[in-house]
Formats: sequence, C-alpha cells, structure tokens
Amino acid sequence: MSALRRRLVPYGLLLPGTVWLLLFFAVPMYFMGEMALRSGSLDTGGFTFSWEWGNFDEALSGSEEQLLRSFVYAGLASLFALLIAYPLAYAIALRAGRWKLLLLFAVVAPFFTTYLIRTIAWKTILADASPAVDVLKFLQIVPEDGRVLATGGAVVAGLTYNFLPFMILPIYASLERMDVRLIESAKDLYASSAQAFWRVTLPISAPGIVAGVLLTFIPAVGDYVNALLLGGTGQTMVGNVIQSLYLQQRDYPEAAALSFVMMLAILAVVLVYLRLAGTGAFMGDEEESR
Amino acid sequence: MRHRNPSTHSRGRAALMALLVLIFAVALAACGDDDNVGGGNESATQVAESGPVRGEITISNWPAYMDTGKDNTVNEFQNEKDVKVDYVEDVNDNAEFFGKLRPQLEQGESGGRSIFVVTDWMAKQMYDLGFLQELDHADLPTVFENLRPDLQSPSFDPERKFSVPWQTGLTGMMVNEQLAPDVRSVNDLFDPKYKGKVTMLSEMRDTVPLVMKADGVDVDEATKQDWLDAIDKLREATESGQIRRFTGNDYNQDMTNENVVAAIGWSGDTSIIENEDVRWRMPTEGCIIWSDNMVIPKGAPNTAAALEWMNFVYEPEVQADIAEYVQYVTPVAGVDEVLRERDPALADNQLIFPDEEFTKDCSTQPDPPGSAEDRQEVTEAFQDVVTGRS
Amino acid sequence: MRWLRRNALLLYAAVAVAYMLVPIFVIALFSFDQTSSNKLDYRWSGFTLDFWKDAFADEAVNEAMITSIQLAALSTIVATVLGTLMALALVRHKFRGRGVSNLLIVLPMATPEIVIGAALLSMFLIYGIGLGFTTLFIAHVMFSISFVVVVVRSRLIGFDRSLEEAAADLGARPLTTFRTITLPLLAPGILAAALLAFALSIDDFVISNFNSGTTETFPLYIFGVSLRGIPVQVNVLATMLFLVAVVCIALVLWQQRQAERMAAVRPDPEPATTAPGGLVRAPAATR
Repeated sequence: MSALRRRLVPYGLLLPGTVWLLLFFAVPMYFMGEMALRSGSLDTGGFTFSWEWGNFDEALSGSEEQLLRSFVYAGLASLFALLIAYPLAYAIALRAGRWKLLLLFAVVAPFFTTYLIRTIAWKTILADASPAVDVLKFLQIVPEDGRVLATGGAVVAGLTYNFLPFMILPIYASLERMDVRLIESAKDLYASSAQAFWRVTLPISAPGIVAGVLLTFIPAVGDYVNALLLGGTGQTMVGNVIQSLYLQQRDYPEAAALSFVMMLAILAVVLVYLRLAGTGAFMGDEEESR
Repeated sequence: MRHRNPSTHSRGRAALMALLVLIFAVALAACGDDDNVGGGNESATQVAESGPVRGEITISNWPAYMDTGKDNTVNEFQNEKDVKVDYVEDVNDNAEFFGKLRPQLEQGESGGRSIFVVTDWMAKQMYDLGFLQELDHADLPTVFENLRPDLQSPSFDPERKFSVPWQTGLTGMMVNEQLAPDVRSVNDLFDPKYKGKVTMLSEMRDTVPLVMKADGVDVDEATKQDWLDAIDKLREATESGQIRRFTGNDYNQDMTNENVVAAIGWSGDTSIIENEDVRWRMPTEGCIIWSDNMVIPKGAPNTAAALEWMNFVYEPEVQADIAEYVQYVTPVAGVDEVLRERDPALADNQLIFPDEEFTKDCSTQPDPPGSAEDRQEVTEAFQDVVTGRS
Repeated sequence: MRWLRRNALLLYAAVAVAYMLVPIFVIALFSFDQTSSNKLDYRWSGFTLDFWKDAFADEAVNEAMITSIQLAALSTIVATVLGTLMALALVRHKFRGRGVSNLLIVLPMATPEIVIGAALLSMFLIYGIGLGFTTLFIAHVMFSISFVVVVVRSRLIGFDRSLEEAAADLGARPLTTFRTITLPLLAPGILAAALLAFALSIDDFVISNFNSGTTETFPLYIFGVSLRGIPVQVNVLATMLFLVAVVCIALVLWQQRQAERMAAVRPDPEPATTAPGGLVRAPAATR
C-alpha cells in the first residue's frame, strides 16, 4: 500500500458518516439559526430572511419561567437519578456475583419498550384515586388532600425514571473496569471502608458520573413528553413552549430562536459543570478512555 | 490514569473553527434560490376528478373515529368496490396535523392522502390557502341525497364546495355526577370547590366560545376583545391552579380515573369513558356545534375512489355502523330509522339525534374575527395560557 | 457484619431494579385484562388470554409496529455500517481533523431531541422535502450514528492487535486480515452497537413526531390512541417486544462472554477481567 493511499484510508472510512452528520445535523442546525432571524408570517407571504434579532427577545419574554423550570427539573432529575443509580451500579459491578447478568438485563431491558408506553403506565399507576397514591398518602409522602399527577414532583419523577438507564450504564462501566485490588490495598494500608470509598472508588468512577449526569441532564432539559403527560399547566417546560410554537402556532422563527436560547443555556451550564468536575471527559479522547 | 495533551485545547478550538467554516460552506452551497418559507398554493382552482373506481386510496382520520376491528367499514368498502384502502389514524389535532402537512401542501402534494378529516375552521383555512380541491355535487349523489338539511349550507362553506361532514358533535361539559353533581353551567367549572379537578380543551375554538357564552357574550358577534377577555379569565384560572390541564382527547383518561370531576368535553366521548358516573351535560347557556369534514387536498391521488368513499359512508346502513361505534351526531338523514331496529335506545339518544329543543341555545363553532393577524394574536394569547407562559 | 452489608446493597439493587420494571410489569399484567374495549383505567376486570390469541387483530397497531420495525432495521443497518467505519478511522489512524470528527460525533448526543427534530424540520421545510418514511430514516440514522461510534470504539480500544500483526507477518493481505481476524473479534461490539441503535430508533417519539408526515411509527401511533384509550393489543405487542429484547440482549451478552473466553486463552498481562463489554459499556466509553 502506498504511503498516499495509507494516508487517505482514514478519510475514506470517515467520509460516509461525516457526510451524513454534516448534511443532517450540522446543516439543519445552521438552517435553524437562519430561521431564527427570519420575519413575516406563514399566511401572508411566508418568512423572509431579515436579520430579525427581535425573535430572540420575543422568544425569551414570557418563557423565562419555563426555561428556569426546565433547568431546575432536569437538575433535580439528574441528582435523584445519580442517587438511585450509583449504589445500583456499584452493586452490579462489584457485589452482584452470579446475579450480575440478570441485573444488567433488568437495567437494559426497559430501553426496548417504548418510553411513551412506560410513561402512560406511570400515569395509570399514579392516578389520583389509585391504590399507589393511597399508600403514598398513608406514608405521609403525599398530603391527605394532595395528588401526584399534575405536580412538579410527578414530572421530576418521570424524568428521573425515563433517563435512569443513561445514568446507570456509564457509572457501571467505570466501576466495572476498576481493579478491585485497589480497594484491598487501600484497606491493607489501614484505610477504613469509608475512606477507601471516598479516596479510591469515587475518583475512579468520576468519569462515569460526569458522563451519566450529562446524558441525563441534557435530554431532560429539552424533554416535553413528561411534562405533557404527567404535569399540568403549571409544570410546562421549555420543550412544551417550543413544541407549541412549532406545531400549534407555526411561528417557526420564534421557535428556532427559543431552541437556540435553550441550547446556549445548556452549553453554558455544561461548561461550568465540566470545569467544576475538572475533566474533558465529554469530548471523548481515546487516551482518556483507557 | 488520564493525561491531557497540552495542545488539546488549541487543537480543539481550531477544529471547532474549521467545523463552523465547513458547515457554513455546505449550507451556502446547498442554499438554493428558494428563499421564502411559507405562503399558500397559488395554482388555479381544481375540481376533484371522477372516473372509474379502482386502485388504492389513503384516508387520514382521527383515532377511534370509526371501528377498525375485523368487519369494519373499510373492509366492507373494499369488498364491495375494487379499491384498496389504507386507513390511517394520524390526525390528533387540527393545528398540529396542518403544521406537519403544510410543507407538502405548499408543493401541491398531499403526502399520498386522498382524503383527510379536519374541523370546519381548519377546512376553511386550507381552502382559503388554495390547498383543497372543489367537489362537483354531480359526483356525490348519495351524499347530497342524505346530508341533513341543516348541514347543507354552513357559513364556512355555504355551497359545500370543498367539504363533506364526517361526523358532527356538541362541545359541552363532561361531568362526574357523583363527585360534581352541581356543575350545570360553564361558570361552575370556575368554582373553587373543584380546584385542580377541572380540565378544558386545548382546541381554542371549543373552549373560548363556551367561556364567552357563560359570560353572556353572543359568540357570533364577539369581538377580538371578547376573545381576549375570555382568554384572560382562563389565564387567571390556570394560574390559580383551578384548571388542572388543557387536554385533547386525553381528558377521557382523567375522567375515567376520576383525576378530574368536570371538564369541557365532546358529546361522543361518553362511549369511551369507562366510568358509569360520567355523563355529558348540556351547559345551561348552551353548547358549541361543530363538524369534522372530509376534504380532498390538491395533489390527492385517485380522487374518483375518494368521491366513491364519500358516497359510500353516506348510505344510511353504512353510516349506522359508524354512528353506533362513535356515538357522535351523525350528518346523515335516515340513520335513526336504521338504528331504531338495531337498538332503540341509541335512536332515542339526544346526543346522537338531538332535536331542535335540545340544541336551541347552541352556536356554530366560531372563528376569531378579523384578519389573519388578529387570529394569530388570539391564537398566540390562548397558546400562552395552554403552555403556561406569562 | 460484612456479609450483611453486602446483602443490604444487593437488596437495594433488587428494589431499584424492581422499580425500573414496575411499568413493564403493569403493561404485561394488563395485557391479560378482560376489558370491554380500550384501556383507560387501572382497574382489573378479570383474567383472559383473548388478547394474546388475537394479538394481531388490530390492523392499525400491526401496521404501526411493522413500520417501526422496518424503520429501525433499515436505520440500524446503515447507522451501524457508517458508525463502525468512523470508529475504525478514529481508533486505528492518526490524521488531521480528528478533533472535528470527534466534535461532530459528540454534538448530536449533546443536543436535546426537540432541537434536533425542529432543526431537521426547518431544513426539510426550506427545501420543501416532503415528510415521510425517508425523512424518518434520515433522522434515525443521524441520531444513531454517534452512539454506534461510541460503542464500537470502546470495543476497539481494548483490542489486542497482536493477532492482526501475526496474520500480517504470515503474509495475509490487509483485507483478508480484516475479514478473518478483525471483524470476528469486533463482532460483539458491532452487535451491541446495532442493538443500541435499534432500541433508540424503535423508542423515538420526539424527533419522529416532527418529521413523520403521514408515516406512523409505533410510538407515534401509541401517542395518538393513548388520548382515547389504548387497545389492549398494544400491551400485548409491547410485552412481546420486551421479551424479544430480553432474548436479544441475552444472546449478545452470551456471545461477548464466549468471545472473551476465547480471547482469554492467550497470555495477556491484563486478562479479560471485563465481563459483558460493548453494550453495557456503551454510553460510558464516549468519555
């Protein structure tokens, strides 16, 4: 193989996928940006490009509450998912023994039943007069005259549930690769179990946590299905507004502008988070994965 | 464990720049001369062509608007005529359906559909934008022989030039008679007693006119301000938590499970709700009457078979099956006699065969008055309430 | 004491897993419910096998399911091929523009679905491309590629190249080496990636909702009928899908174990401590 051909090989391998992603991801994102700067209306001559920065003002005004709520809900959902997922991933990776495969099954399998059906099932389970809610009331988790559906709690619970596998798998993978002998040597050096966990296990699983939080948080911010099915009018998220702007009001420029604002806000939060977490883990460099 | 290449940072930034340039270049190269998005279809009026009935057609309808079980109407049609029907239940919401279909309509295509079913105002909007074909009454003998006289010339389509009713219905209140016995007027839905136990429809032209009616506004003469005032009332009720959600058909689930005790709802849905205490009630101030119409879009394939389908469902025997299943108000005269033989209770049901006395205070579903911009303003205000924007 | 603590953790794991499976259990349970028509409530009205016997009686459900399976199969094949090639390029070769490629692969995963769906719609609108199966296919391949790259890459990174080198030393041509050595060893990773792509596609609602036109996938159909009551057949088919998935996952995990057992035969300073690889490691390995 000639040197030139050898040098061209990676580009040949990359080409088809790159073209697909450029054409159907990068170009659409560009068009969305362009759409956000158009003005006009569908029924009177259509939208024309005109550097209409006002769309951003309009999109933002009135949607601040939804934006803020989306971030709060997504943040809470990520936190709860982490609290549920970490011990589970730890148990599967390091303690499960011969149950490991079975538990992994159970974690991955929900992926395959449409999440819409699962969410609707939750809605049935948590109906105001259902036995499940009666139990929650008995346990004083829900006030006597309270309800679960159409509350913020229901939406956060739905988000937590639906994105849980995305939290469990990365953490599991990072723990599973860990050399158990590290913990043993820590203990040999008279570290307590707690110290061994904080000093050894947790740092090793940190990349998994970072990845899991991002994979939960980002889609959760943009989600609108949970708010639609489990929430009420007081729990709408920014995704609901974008959906309404696109499909109900057909105000494409404002919808595009709001999408951009959301993306930028997510980007800002993610960058701050990555800096705090002190890792470039999300960029996927090979040297780091091994 | 992990090490960072010191040059990663600048390399990443250069890469990002390169990517942006690339995207821009591709987009520019891809950018055609078509710089406008939207507008209508300017092409000339088109009349749905009749002819020999054969081939295939696709019909789009709302979910559960016809029995799709084994011996259903579609199969009957297929057996009787030499036509294969693809019956799709993909209309969940007028605006959303139109929003998704619009790009195709603008190019004079119908996405392969020969017929779809939309509500009056939507049909009119589509017609005004030049997206629909006109219908020659000579091709629709069964339809115009059996169409109920009161539906022959509605205000949105006085000559029935582009629409044929599929079903008509009443918008009023769905009430759980055990849990909310005293809800009789739309104003009772605003009673704090039922806080958080009330839903309303996200279909603006159902909810807002009922609220106006309850406040004594004549909906046929209502001004834009009347609409906006009613929307303000809804906003307050939403912010106080009185109104739990705005829903489409999904209030059925809330009513069945008693999450909601009273709602604005459609007359046919009592047949769906699995709760014996739930009844449809005529509000004391009257109801809203609407119809969902079959229309033939421009670019529709096989219009001959589409016209034949319209005729077919207007045969009283066929229509009786549909009426029996959906339990809305049938647009076909003579169905009551067919049903009386099958099930007398249905034939006497005021919700399927309402008499004039029953609907005397009802109004035809209105559209917000004024220009397209005015309508847009009202729609926006309402959508802001639905999505909880301030 | 330590024994107790170990079991406490496992007990917790069992509870957490049970929680994850609650809705699926409810769905399966209600596929045996003797209800008159469509299902809206949580009440149990009696046991019946009727709906399992008549699992394919509702044509609308079948059609949506078939569309979804076709779409998922097609987009999985294309995305898996494209993604695997990209992963090979990224792990096996050093070249200019790796950073850009990485970025292009990570960004779609980091973008909320609603933005992707809306952006694609914007583009289709501007070009006047009619929405339908083709646009769905385009979208599904697009959002699957990144995940495929990530999964296959994680497999490639932990890959022992000595076998390939040996083959080359013995005079095998590069393509032959690839076919007889690389591909078989890579197979579990590719299979896991394909499975993930399939799951993502068959599960997608948001992006599809924007770009479906008249084509109705299973999730879109579910959304439509859920408003008026879900035919019990939906529960039956969902349960079937779940069972098929369990079998598929079992096969993949079993195959990976076999492959690793094979790999473990040869002396290796770091023996195959890793159990089930590719699939479960999936999203993690991006990082």
